[in-house]
Amino acid sequence: MILRFWLALWLGKIVNIVLKALGKKGTSFPGYLAYRICPSIISLLASSFPEGAVLITGTNGKTTTNNLLASICRAQGKKVAFNKEGSNMLQGITGVLLQNTSFLGKNRADLLLLEVDEGTVPALLKQITPRVMILTNFFRDQLDRYGELDTTVKLVKESLPSDTELILNADDPLVAQIGSGRPKVYYYGSKSLPISQKESREAREGRYCAHCGQELRYTLFHYGQLGIYECTECGFKRPAPYLEAQEVFQDESGITFWLDREYKVPLQGYYNLYNALAAFCAAERLGISRENIHLGLINYVSAAGRMEQFTLPGFQLTLNLIKNPTGFNQVITTLAGLNKPLYLLLVINDLAADGRDVSWLWDTELEILCQPEDKIKGVVCSGLRAEDMALRLKYAGLKPEKIIIEKSLPKAVELLENFKPDGNEAVYVLPNYTPLFPIRDILLAKRVKEAARA
Amino acid sequence: MKLTIYHLYPDLLDLYGDRGNIIALAARCKWRGIDVEVRQVSLGEELDFSQADLVFLGGGSDREQTLLIADLDLRAKGLNQAIEEGLVVLAICGGFQILGGYFLKADGQKIPGLGLLDFYTVAGKKRLIGNVIAELDSEFKEEMEAVYAPREQTATGPEVLKTLVGFENHSGRTYLGSGLRPLAKIIRGYGNNGEDFLEGVRYKNVFGTYLHGPLLPKNPHLADLLLSLALKRKGENFRLAPLEDNIEIAAHQAILARFSKEKG
Repeated sequence: MILRFWLALWLGKIVNIVLKALGKKGTSFPGYLAYRICPSIISLLASSFPEGAVLITGTNGKTTTNNLLASICRAQGKKVAFNKEGSNMLQGITGVLLQNTSFLGKNRADLLLLEVDEGTVPALLKQITPRVMILTNFFRDQLDRYGELDTTVKLVKESLPSDTELILNADDPLVAQIGSGRPKVYYYGSKSLPISQKESREAREGRYCAHCGQELRYTLFHYGQLGIYECTECGFKRPAPYLEAQEVFQDESGITFWLDREYKVPLQGYYNLYNALAAFCAAERLGISRENIHLGLINYVSAAGRMEQFTLPGFQLTLNLIKNPTGFNQVITTLAGLNKPLYLLLVINDLAADGRDVSWLWDTELEILCQPEDKIKGVVCSGLRAEDMALRLKYAGLKPEKIIIEKSLPKAVELLENFKPDGNEAVYVLPNYTPLFPIRDILLAKRVKEAARA
Repeated sequence: MKLTIYHLYPDLLDLYGDRGNIIALAARCKWRGIDVEVRQVSLGEELDFSQADLVFLGGGSDREQTLLIADLDLRAKGLNQAIEEGLVVLAICGGFQILGGYFLKADGQKIPGLGLLDFYTVAGKKRLIGNVIAELDSEFKEEMEAVYAPREQTATGPEVLKTLVGFENHSGRTYLGSGLRPLAKIIRGYGNNGEDFLEGVRYKNVFGTYLHGPLLPKNPHLADLLLSLALKRKGENFRLAPLEDNIEIAAHQAILARFSKEKG
C-alpha cells in the first residue's frame, strides 16, 4: 500500500516533469498514471492540508466560484491549492494534487479548493470528506454523459457526508431541496435582480417540487429556474438565506450588491452575483473576515475565457465560454443589453468534454439577438458543429448572408478581423469547452502587447 | 392558406432542443407565405384535435412523462379518430413511446401507453446515445420528391437528401408490431432497439422517432413532407415552393461525412 503510494507519487511527478520538458502542457496523463497505480492517492494527498478541503460542484459557475474563493483566501494570507476547469474529474484532480505535493510527500498549501464535475462527486466523496461543500446550481448540461438531470442530483445528494458544511443556492429549488432536514446548511440567494420577472418562458428544469412532484409556484423568476418559489402542496419553499444580496445592479465595471455594506465584483452577468455569493458564504465559514472578502472580490481578475478582454490590432474583443443553454442565455442577455451592434465568432465542438449532443443550441433565446434587423452585423461559425450553429442562427431569424461557416479556427479568426470592426461595434468570441483554449491561443498570439499599445 | 400546429405539453416535454422542430415548421411556412399558428397545450388545457393540422410531441424525462400520460389518456379517443382521418403527428422519443401499447420499466412495472399504435417499449440497462444516420426507402423518397413542384434537374433542394440524421438518447427499446412500417433503416446508431436496425415508425400520417438534433431543421425534406401532408389533408395545394436550403443541407451532409463510416 505505502509502496504503491510512493511509486504513484514519484512516477506521476517524474512523468509530469518529462512532459513539461517536451513542451506538452495541460495533459492529464500524470494524474491518470498515478491514479491507476494507487487509487487511494487522492485521499492520502488531500487529507494533508492543515485547513482541510472545499469542494465546489454544480452545473455552472464552478470555475469562477473557485477562482473567487481563491482570491478571497489569498487576501486573508492563506496559501491555496486549487484546480482549473477541465481537471475536475478524478485523474485531473490527482494531477493537481501531484503538482502541489513535493517528492517528499509534503504539500505546499494551507487549504485545498477543488471544483468537481457533478458526475465525479460520488466517487470523490469516497476519498475526501470536505470541510465545506458548495453547490452552485443544476441546469441541463451534457445530459448525454449522465442521463437526465434528476439522476445527477440524486447521486450528488446521496453521496454528501453528514459532517460537511453545505453552502447551497437558496434560489435554485433543485439545489435548495438538498438541504431539507440537514444540519449545517448555509443558504445564499438574492431578493431580486434587475432582470427578475413575474413570468418566464426559458426552459426550466426544477419546475416540479423534488419532494412531492407538484408544480412549484413562483412569485419571481431571476433566470432559468432560479427565483422565489414555493410548493403549494407540501410546503417546500425557498429557504431563508443566511446571506441575501439586496440592491443588486450591474454596470460596465461589474456587479454591485448590498449585504451589511456594499460589495462589488468586477464581472459582468448576473450569474456572477451567485458565484460571488457562493464564494462569500464559503469564505465566511472558513473564518475569513468580511474586509478580506471585500478585497478578494473587488481585486478579482477574471479567469481564462470568462469575459476575458483582448486587444487586437484595430479593435477589442471579449472571449467568453458558452457551454450550455443557461450560460449561453446569460451571455445573450448581456449582449442584448449593450447598445452596440455585434460581430460574433461562435465555435461549437461536440467532443466528449463538450457533450456529444449539440441540440442544446436550440434551447437558447438567440431570437433576441437575431430578430432585430441591425443588431448582428456579421457572424462566423466554426468548430466541428459550425453548420449546426449556423442553422440555429438562420432559424432564429438571422439573414443567411450574414452567416459565414469556416471550420478552420485560424481562418475563422481572420474572417472576424476582416469584418474590420471600428469600435462602434462590440466583438465577442464565444466557444464551448474544447475549442476555448485553442481559440484563446490564437487570440493571445495576435494580441497587441501592452508596451506596443502605450 | 393557414396551418394550425398543436405543440403538446411544451412545458413537460422540452428536452434536447425539440422545440427546434416547431421553430423549423413555423419558419418554413412563413418563408413560403403560408400562415401558421402554433398553439401550446398543457395539462388540463382545452384541446380539440379536429382543429389541428399538425400535432407535435417531444421528449421528456421519465417523471414528466408519467405526469402527462393520465392527461393524454383522456384525449386518446379524439386523437385516435383524427389519426385515422389523416392527422399529421410528429412524436419524438418520450412522445413516440407514449403512442404505443406500454413501457415496461426495469423494476417490472408496466406503464400503459395510449395504445394507438401496435408497438411496445422495454427499458434497457445501457442508454443508447449517439449520432444517427438512417436511410429512407424508395417509396418514401418518391413521396418526398413529390412534395415539390417539378424543377430542373440541376436544382439542389432538399430532395437531394436520401437519409435522416439526428441524435438519439434513450434507454427504452421499442419493438414494432408486424403490421407497422418503420420510418427508416439504421446505417449508423441504434434506432428503435439496437437489434433490428429499424428507426421510428410510420403509420398513415403519424411519424414516431427517437431522433433529436433537433430533427426537422437538419432534415428539411421531412419537415416539408409533414407540411405538405397537412396541406393535402385540408384540400389545399400541397406542392411546396422550393427554399434556399444551403445551410440545412450542409448541416445534414456534415453528419453524413463525419459519421457514416464510423460504426455505432
